[in-house]
Amino acid sequence: MPVKKRKKDFTLSEKLYIPEIMKGLGLTLKHMFKPKVTMEYPEVKFNPPAAFRGRPVLVQEENGVERCVACGLCARVCPALAIEVQASETNLDKERFPERFEINMIRCIFCGFCEEVCPEEAIVMSKDYELVFRNRNDAIFGKDKLLVPIAKLHDRLEFLRNFK
Amino acid sequence: MALKTEEMVLNMGPQHPSTHGVLRLEVELDGELIINVKPHIGYLHRCFEKHCEAMTYPQVIPYTDRLDYLSSMYNNFGYVVTMERFLGIQVPERVEYIRVIMGELQRIASHLIALGTYGLDIGAYTPFLYCFRDRETILSLFEMTCGARLLYNYMWVGGLSHDLHPDFVPKCREFLKVFKPNITELNNLLSYNKIFVERTANIGILPAETAINYGITGPMLRGSGVKWDLRKNDPYSIYDRFDFEIPVGTGAQGTLGDCWDRYFVRVREMEESVKIVEQALDQLPEGDINAAIPKRIKPPVGSIYGRVENPKGELGYFIMSDGSTNPFRVKLRGPSFVNMTVFGELCKGHLIADVIAILGSVDIVLGEVDR
Ligand code: SF4
Ligand code: SF4
Repeated sequence: MPVKKRKKDFTLSEKLYIPEIMKGLGLTLKHMFKPKVTMEYPEVKFNPPAAFRGRPVLVQEENGVERCVACGLCARVCPALAIEVQASETNLDKERFPERFEINMIRCIFCGFCEEVCPEEAIVMSKDYELVFRNRNDAIFGKDKLLVPIAKLHDRLEFLRNFK
Repeated sequence: MALKTEEMVLNMGPQHPSTHGVLRLEVELDGELIINVKPHIGYLHRCFEKHCEAMTYPQVIPYTDRLDYLSSMYNNFGYVVTMERFLGIQVPERVEYIRVIMGELQRIASHLIALGTYGLDIGAYTPFLYCFRDRETILSLFEMTCGARLLYNYMWVGGLSHDLHPDFVPKCREFLKVFKPNITELNNLLSYNKIFVERTANIGILPAETAINYGITGPMLRGSGVKWDLRKNDPYSIYDRFDFEIPVGTGAQGTLGDCWDRYFVRVREMEESVKIVEQALDQLPEGDINAAIPKRIKPPVGSIYGRVENPKGELGYFIMSDGSTNPFRVKLRGPSFVNMTVFGELCKGHLIADVIAILGSVDIVLGEVDR
């Protein structure tokens, strides 16, 4: 058992715990008059910067077609094996399109590798951070949930152009 | 006539607010005195090392984030530094500087959590909130740069994922200016608080010799008065260019190597980190943020061990390559895990309430203990 050897050179006023507590309370009081650092979240929504890596989405061009050419690179690079792409032929210029494109949002770790590797800038990280599912099937996002009109993604595309 | 007494085994955790995660402590008690403590770990095991074998080299990086999730930047740092040495890549100057800035900001953030939750464990709620307020600013700086608040995936082999935002440098300077007086505020509020000192001084004394024998590193080792910091003793990246000190424990409030010393080393390290960031911001060169590296990373056959000074101690990666795109074996030497080993030794003979004080001063993160 260690020998308790404590410094006993505290003054009488320091020996009382009250001043210490008062000091703490004083600081709290001071902070009451400083600007607030918190945010009342569900009422006030957090607006992330363009750099934010929210859920990955597919870019949908103005004509309603997705940019993706179903090359499958994103599925290969994904460290969590969250992406599944099934390619098919199309008459459009890009020749191939993803018949099925699924991201399992339970698996996704928001690393951003898919965005990095995509040759067409077709998959980008959005600002979406509120992801709630009631069951596992709901967490598999198909094309219906993944496609986002390009108008909503200008911020991110701009950011990628400047900082990559 | 003496009453017959019996020893008792008490389980603390895994769902205990002071175990910093899912850690179970099997405490053998004689009344309120501790005879022995056995930590049971593994509740958060995710097969990091085995998992790496199925990943390509760059794909391992997001998984290193998830080891010690309070210092993700530094885990990235350790991995990429090791990989770059393995591959013989020289990264641009700017990358080195940005890495150091991020690493040291991460050290401050990690220590802020360590100090704040330490106060919280012992019963001081207020400092915890102020620590989080400052950490929040650092996280916003990270978020503005790489887009994530906790798991950054920012440092890549041969470079960085994104360049700095033009606002980063002014905002970072502003933060440092605000943060310096906040350290004094924390000292006044917690470090020299009599209640806090009574709970931590002379508790959990770790003599330097024991610490070395157990392989303890980081603030725990320095708290025992040993001047050992890989940033100085085995410089990696560009740490040899900065002027900073290595704070060590002095036994100012009690005995050398007690909980208070370990606590205070962290406070002083934050001051040193501020110094490093300031110098790095001053010298930050312009330039490229990616070195030219092959598209597929294939290190030569062989193995390498690289180590860096994580906020919690020596973080080492042992990487073995068989020449393919996936590592053959990755072994992690985690500081929290090794620092945890001495925990039972520290607790012996103390009261049950001191277990909390000692555990907090070890500063473990279960993500990395269990990995
Ligand atoms: S999103 Fe990009 S990387 Fe993925 S399949 Fe489509 S084009 Fe290829
Ligand atoms: S963000 Fe990462 S984990 Fe998520 S789908 Fe893209 S590559 Fe996979």
